[in-house]
Amino acid sequence: MWKNLSLLHLYKLIYSHLHCYQHQAFEDFGASIFSEGMAPGIESSEGNNKMSKGYQYPSWKKKLTGLVVDNEELCRMVEKGIMGLCGVETQAVETGEAAVELIASGATFDIIVIDRFLPSMTGPETARKMREMGVESKIIGLFALYFEGDEEEFVAAGVDDFKEKPLSPNWLVPMLRELDN
Amino acid sequence: MERNHLPRHLVLQRQSLFDQGLLDEQFIQLEELQDDANPNFVEEVVTSYYQNTSTLIVIIEQALGTSPLDFNKLDGYMYQLKGSSSSFGAKKVKADCTLFREYCKAGNVEGCMRTFQQLKKEYASLKRKLEAYFQLARQARVTGTASRPK
Repeated sequence: MWKNLSLLHLYKLIYSHLHCYQHQAFEDFGASIFSEGMAPGIESSEGNNKMSKGYQYPSWKKKLTGLVVDNEELCRMVEKGIMGLCGVETQAVETGEAAVELIASGATFDIIVIDRFLPSMTGPETARKMREMGVESKIIGLFALYFEGDEEEFVAAGVDDFKEKPLSPNWLVPMLRELDN
Repeated sequence: MERNHLPRHLVLQRQSLFDQGLLDEQFIQLEELQDDANPNFVEEVVTSYYQNTSTLIVIIEQALGTSPLDFNKLDGYMYQLKGSSSSFGAKKVKADCTLFREYCKAGNVEGCMRTFQQLKKEYASLKRKLEAYFQLARQARVTGTASRPK
């Protein structure tokens, strides 16, 4: 299935659900990968299998969904891209408030990655709010530079892990395997 | 085109980016995610990086021109730049961001200035080298051959 699905179509589906900014660089990026035309639709009931020349990801038994919460545009783009290419149907938002709103509207996610620094609601505050709302997803706190007390704050907020950026495929795939099982 | 079918001089050029410490494992992992249907993911990330961070570099330079320096603000800018740089494996730029940050924490103005000049050089150098690499890689994919050095 995934052999016949181009990245182009995957991004189309993901971006159509994004709470997203409008920025020329982002649009240029989107335009470049949307230039090839549409591919057949996703059959989501049987899981996802991504074969690339380097990696062979396991065939997920269920449809995995993810949420990226990162105010930094490029980080958000790359994290969403990596999760998507690893077979996770991913949305991305810029703020903690947007993430909470998404969840309050009924969206559910298997994995949520949250950056430490968000504009008003911080990363830990966002994670805490999600747990208070009953979110049981795997929540990962990400940081680019470490500040004293960050890890304690994230852990106290209820995250499952706390990791320095970047979000790497080698780190992500074993976690997805756990979620799939 | 599979990486192991790249022409030799392109392989060597790519390897030099790692040997010089300019790129790290993240770049390799992102390349591995690419396939024949989507061969340009990494190049698109790098292009977006330089589009997005060029303004940030100017902002940091302007902030370094003020007196006294606002180290908290500089710390915040460096958080953004380091996060973006690490996303595709820009190892040296990432290291310079970390060093700059240490000077910020210490309130060391000269250290910040010096490190930022170094960072700008690495940032620009990496851009030139990656642009050259991606251009050759695209040509090699299109032609299926490479212009080998004589």
